[in-house]
Amino acid sequence: MRHTLLELETAAFKVLSGRGFKMKEIMAIIRPKKITKTKEVLDILGFPAMNAVRIMGRGKQKAILNEINLEIKETNLTESEGAMRYIPKRMLSLVVPDEDVSLVVETIMRINHTGQIGDGKIFVSPIDEAIRVRTMETGDNAI
Amino acid sequence: MKMVRAIIRPEKVENVVDALDESGFVALTKMEVIGRGKQKGIQFENIYYDEIPKTMLIIVAEDDQTSKIVEIITESSITGNFGDGKIFISPVDEAYTVRTRNSSL
Repeated sequence: MRHTLLELETAAFKVLSGRGFKMKEIMAIIRPKKITKTKEVLDILGFPAMNAVRIMGRGKQKAILNEINLEIKETNLTESEGAMRYIPKRMLSLVVPDEDVSLVVETIMRINHTGQIGDGKIFVSPIDEAIRVRTMETGDNAI
Repeated sequence: MKMVRAIIRPEKVENVVDALDESGFVALTKMEVIGRGKQKGIQFENIYYDEIPKTMLIIVAEDDQTSKIVEIITESSITGNFGDGKIFISPVDEAYTVRTRNSSL
């Protein structure tokens, strides 16, 4: 499909007018088991859009086998014999407006909290621009 | 905090992970990806590959440690040929540990 000059100009205007809108990417690495619950609750809160990826990873404890044990001595962690190289996890990434970041982070933390090693991490990083490919909308309208 | 994303050769991953391990960067995330670089993939006679399997490592670290991480990754994954990969560094505003609910790495 070819775009006319006017269409391109409108698109450029939309890009420019979307400036100033702040958004953040929330990248949560969580247990695969908790993914359904997390999705359901975020759905209810009005954040249905997300990416989910199967990943492998490990944390500070170096992928110890007994990651669901409560009592593990800190000193033994890195020399543990029952270490695997990686543990399967699920990564969620969603882009939300600045003011919703704390709500989403708090929700993910509350659902995924078991108190045991391997609960995961959440990273929040800035996103400069978001564009919806279908309509070329930007910023607020795109997410 | 900064997020270091390194796209490297799959066969070099264990090398890199061990090297990072020795320097104390234990926590990381590993992801299988497919991509191509500036060379537009690779061509053997008539067969043209433009979706080359790579592995992406994601490490989040404090600002002053990124240069060390980059150095370790480049040293342990270099072969000198096309396709050694790229490393991207981007800002991270906040990091939370779900278990302790702390806002720290």
